[in-house]
Amino acid sequence: MTSINPFEVAKRQIDACADILKLPPSVTAMLKTPMRELHVALPVRMDDGYVKVFQGFRVQYNDAKGPTKGGIRFHPDETIDTVRALASWMTWKCALLDLPLGGGKGGVICNPKEMSPGEMERLSRAYIRAVYQFVGPERDVPAPDVYTTPQIMAWMMDEYSAIAGKSQFGVITGKPLAVGGSPGRGDATARGGMYTIREAARSLGIDLSKAKVAVQGYGNAGYHAARLCSELFGSTIVAVCDSKGGVCCTTGVDTAAAYTCKNQTGSVCNLPGMETISNEELMELDVDILIPAAIENIITDKNAGRIKAKIIAELANGPTTPEADDILYQNGVHVIPDFLCNAGGVTVSYFEMVQNYYMYTWEEAEVYERLDRKMTAAYHSVLNTSREHKINMRQAAYVRAVERVVEAMKLRGWI
Amino acid sequence: MEAQSTALKKVQSGLTPLDELLQGLRLGDNVVWQVDRLEDYPYFAHAFVDKAISEGFECVYLTFAAHAAILEPRNGLTIKKIDPTPGFDYFAGEVHRIIEERGRKVCYVFDNLSDLVDEWATDELLVNFFQVTCPYLYQLDDVAYFALRRGQHAHSAIARIRDTTQILIDVYHVGGNTYVQPLKVSGRYSQQMFLPHLITLDSWEPVSRSGDAAKILATAVRKPLNISSESIAPWDSVYRKLVQNRESLDDWSPISHETKVLKEALSRMMIGNHTKLIQLSERHLSLGELLRVRDRLIGSGRIGGKAAGMILARSVLLSGNGEIDFSQVLEEHDSFYIGSDVFFTFLVNNDLFEPRLELTKTGSISRDEFAKLEQKFFEGRFPDEIMEQFRGMIDYYGQAPIIVRSSSLLEDGFTDAFAGKYRSEFCANQGSPEERLNAFLRAIKLVYASALNPDALAYRHRRGLGEGDEQMAVLVQRVSGMPYKRYFFPILAGVAFSRNLYAWTNRIDPKKGMIRLVYGLGTRAVNRVSGDYPRMIAVSHPNIRPETGMEAAKYSQRLVDIINLEENTLDTRPFSEIIKGNNYPVLSLLTSEIADGYLRDWFVTSSASSSENLVLTFNNIINRTALVKIIGEILRRLEEAWGQPVDIEFTAYVDSEENIRVNLLQCRTLRVPTLTGPGVDIPKELPKEQVLFRSSRAINAGMVDKIGYIIYIDPKKYAENVKIDTKKALGRVIGKLNNYLRKKQHKVMMMGPGRWGSNNIELGVNVGYADIDNTAVLVEVAREKAGHTPEVSYGTHFFQDLVESDILYLPVYPDEDGSDFNTSFFSHSPNVLGNLLPEFKDYEDIILVIDLPMATDGASAKVIADPKTRHAVCFLEKGQIQKTKIQKKGKK
Repeated sequence: MTSINPFEVAKRQIDACADILKLPPSVTAMLKTPMRELHVALPVRMDDGYVKVFQGFRVQYNDAKGPTKGGIRFHPDETIDTVRALASWMTWKCALLDLPLGGGKGGVICNPKEMSPGEMERLSRAYIRAVYQFVGPERDVPAPDVYTTPQIMAWMMDEYSAIAGKSQFGVITGKPLAVGGSPGRGDATARGGMYTIREAARSLGIDLSKAKVAVQGYGNAGYHAARLCSELFGSTIVAVCDSKGGVCCTTGVDTAAAYTCKNQTGSVCNLPGMETISNEELMELDVDILIPAAIENIITDKNAGRIKAKIIAELANGPTTPEADDILYQNGVHVIPDFLCNAGGVTVSYFEMVQNYYMYTWEEAEVYERLDRKMTAAYHSVLNTSREHKINMRQAAYVRAVERVVEAMKLRGWI
Repeated sequence: MEAQSTALKKVQSGLTPLDELLQGLRLGDNVVWQVDRLEDYPYFAHAFVDKAISEGFECVYLTFAAHAAILEPRNGLTIKKIDPTPGFDYFAGEVHRIIEERGRKVCYVFDNLSDLVDEWATDELLVNFFQVTCPYLYQLDDVAYFALRRGQHAHSAIARIRDTTQILIDVYHVGGNTYVQPLKVSGRYSQQMFLPHLITLDSWEPVSRSGDAAKILATAVRKPLNISSESIAPWDSVYRKLVQNRESLDDWSPISHETKVLKEALSRMMIGNHTKLIQLSERHLSLGELLRVRDRLIGSGRIGGKAAGMILARSVLLSGNGEIDFSQVLEEHDSFYIGSDVFFTFLVNNDLFEPRLELTKTGSISRDEFAKLEQKFFEGRFPDEIMEQFRGMIDYYGQAPIIVRSSSLLEDGFTDAFAGKYRSEFCANQGSPEERLNAFLRAIKLVYASALNPDALAYRHRRGLGEGDEQMAVLVQRVSGMPYKRYFFPILAGVAFSRNLYAWTNRIDPKKGMIRLVYGLGTRAVNRVSGDYPRMIAVSHPNIRPETGMEAAKYSQRLVDIINLEENTLDTRPFSEIIKGNNYPVLSLLTSEIADGYLRDWFVTSSASSSENLVLTFNNIINRTALVKIIGEILRRLEEAWGQPVDIEFTAYVDSEENIRVNLLQCRTLRVPTLTGPGVDIPKELPKEQVLFRSSRAINAGMVDKIGYIIYIDPKKYAENVKIDTKKALGRVIGKLNNYLRKKQHKVMMMGPGRWGSNNIELGVNVGYADIDNTAVLVEVAREKAGHTPEVSYGTHFFQDLVESDILYLPVYPDEDGSDFNTSFFSHSPNVLGNLLPEFKDYEDIILVIDLPMATDGASAKVIADPKTRHAVCFLEKGQIQKTKIQKKGKK
């Protein structure tokens, strides 16, 4: 079976933007090429006594706007092309939020399901030893990603600090609070999404206090989204669901009770006193706001035409297929695209860097306030671009991001 | 009436802890102290008399025995000496006269009543004396203390005394400590009243942790349950001869040839005839241990496979040498055994023998018929002598929860495991002695009836055991654990297997075994529960787990099985509710904490974390205690002794010093799935249209060919369109199909959503073993969008059933790349359900039955599963799918 090369997909998106922005081919070529890549071999002593050599990568895709930023993935199916593609997306995401950062990504081919915590620690430290010269608070700042946790970030920060001979908390973000993590990170992704929803509602003239909201997916992002919609705006959460099904209630689902129910029984669909609903039905409910917060490709050409929501806020990565995007745009559904809607996470990561740099920790409220400013600005910038170029919000987000990177490259005299 | 109206007036015993324990003495109380040392009696009597005199009561000491005086003369105490030698008539008359003269509300202390037997030679007259004296004292609102020596009187005598008196209290010594345990307290009740209490200077502490209670009670001197001194049957005569040598032998003293022969004979009578059992018994079971089993046997006959497995496994561990000293690790057990003869007696006495005979011949019973039969078991009665022994046992355990477990002769033998076929019933064991006895009787009758339940009959039939000698012995075990809040449960429980076939990485050594570990009762480890996960531990690599990051929280145990002491039931409560307040003793060893959005193990033991944020990972149990090492060593030694793979059930206790104590509840042979064999290589070049599906997560290996029928339940339809009543009925329809196709001798593959046999009908088809036992392949279909996820059920009774029945089990994920799921084949093949079973034609919308040769122009299906690559494929052979032959569903 042939699988789609993710980096080829990423490059096609750059081509599309280049067409809209009428970029010269040399600039497009630059944007389609990672600036630096490092391939490393990581010898790790396993619990059984033998040494296993793992393969790792770090890609710094584009640092025109500043030090590169992006997660480290530990995955058995990791490939350099996946890392390249994700590094390019990080470039656009950081640029879209107008953070002084470029995009990067890293990965190690390993299977954490086959490794003990001790082996994971030794692998994490080995990775930092191997990329030490390449990363740093002013060069490239990694963060958690697939199968990497705040604990792993703490080990990596410690290893880097040990080599540097001084505390270097800013080398990595997503750390536990006790070792330089940022307050407000727990719900940063959902909260950032809320600010974009608020702005979208304003621009569409929707009164959020009377709005009906459906949330698909009830993990970390989905739960916080439902909770915050209710807390911040007074909206009614009429339906929530997870992989096993969902519940709906026109007078509102108790978001905290649903969360407890999921923790205790494995699914929100066991919440008593509620009408049950399937994932598919939830997507087509007559609501004002639909928040896909779980898996990819949940909105396809098959159901896009039946979606009644006025706003779709994509907290999940890639919930909408390209075909569905077109249908939604034609039907006037306002989509807040994933790499805008869920950029709260990387924004608070950036705040973590800043706080580490300052050696000063902000209060949670200050984090929220700054996050609000960043997300609000980014949203309006995308909306304006969408209107200006008469393109959908997703295309607009890409265009705006690429525009900013190109501007930086030009100012620095690269192009 | 007068006595009753004043009965609630309290009298003080002079000992505050005793007053608290009994909620005070009342006017009219007769208090019988059963002591193993007479020296203890004056302690209670002195305190009583001191207090009574100070409160202005008239006090009388009635002395008649040869032992030292219980009370010395003092002001306010009248001492009356009576001579018992003239006999019962004179003695009883004198006592009656004294009581009559003194009148109402007088306090009496009697000498040790056991001494009267020396004079009168029988328990009978002693009991008669008690039965005439005690009610008279009660009528007059008098309060009287009596003493008896523990273990010196027949059970029947004690039973009559117990029936007559208001209060009966055991006093005994273990390891230098003195314990008090009320056996009867009329009209008063508390949750700890009937537990043993340790007497200390400051207080009387209830012994509620199972391990401590078992150690105390098993050690306390006790009369054997049933010795019939007159019988010449081998059952009694062999035992009597062995008992004669008992005092002179410690457990492992060399024994004479005659004793050896007698020991073997007793072993065969109680443990069984299986060669392997005899070998294990000879090698590892000491005479002392064997006699201890006999002492705790109710009725006669064998103790059954489960009990034998438990006893032998303990003996193997305790008698062997190795790195671990199991005498420091294994908790004492104080189980009782109900002999297999009692089962027969019950059947014969209650007209159940004939029905049972008939059923074992036919090998099947409907669930409705079984419900009627079960009712007949409930109505059955036990002989009086057995009831007396049951009462003795209930007294022994006091209010400690117990579990009544089947231990049939065939069960847990060396070829058949009968995993979960027969019942095990928990008795929360709260309430008055009579209430507790009734609950126990109900439990044992349920266990007896389960010998004839549909799943058990089907299993026996399938294994060719139809008319084999199947008598139901019963094992009564103390439930391991300790009280917490209003619940009772062990800290840790689980099952462990000496072979690990759930090896998700080749780093894991399957020969080291695996553990399914839970918090609370072990029922959650052996049953197939939905959305709730025990911790799976590979003994060779305990720290590697198939879940990463927050997945460990998702795949964790959220519900806990416990005994609810207030409700007097077996109950299931959310973990977060149980530990609310976070003061459970070893929480930091059991849980990890969700903080900053990730899961971390506790480093320090105090935390203000909300119980909602605690996840049962057992990480610190695994990392910081010897549990995995101990269980690994148990598995190694038992597999070595058994000569084949084994599985065990256990509970474990961990103290604040992180020491582990293990209670081994069960050991039996483990049937492992076939790993290699001819024909398990998957063909490389299979035309795609021939493939029905592939699986990349096969657990057991095998090849099944010539499958003629597929029973397919569409997961998406099941999730979305099926009413709950229909879902409930599906198991029955599947069962009918199963039987129909068995009779026609067709090979069948069953495919359906999620978890077969799950107790949650939303997550899978709720079938019992009898409903699926004829299938050759069982496929669990997981469609992500339908929300069904097959759970690796390795280690559950359900999985054991599949393995033992050589049913190939496959999880299939049609939405995954490489599954090659032939949706078209399943959506277009004609449905023959209505042809086979016209009465179930209405179910054709949900159950698809494919007659493969008919649907494919003569082809049958073949399944090959290779455990090395974990890949499996199902394909059609001898003929291709002829698309022209396939008609639209519903058309024939």
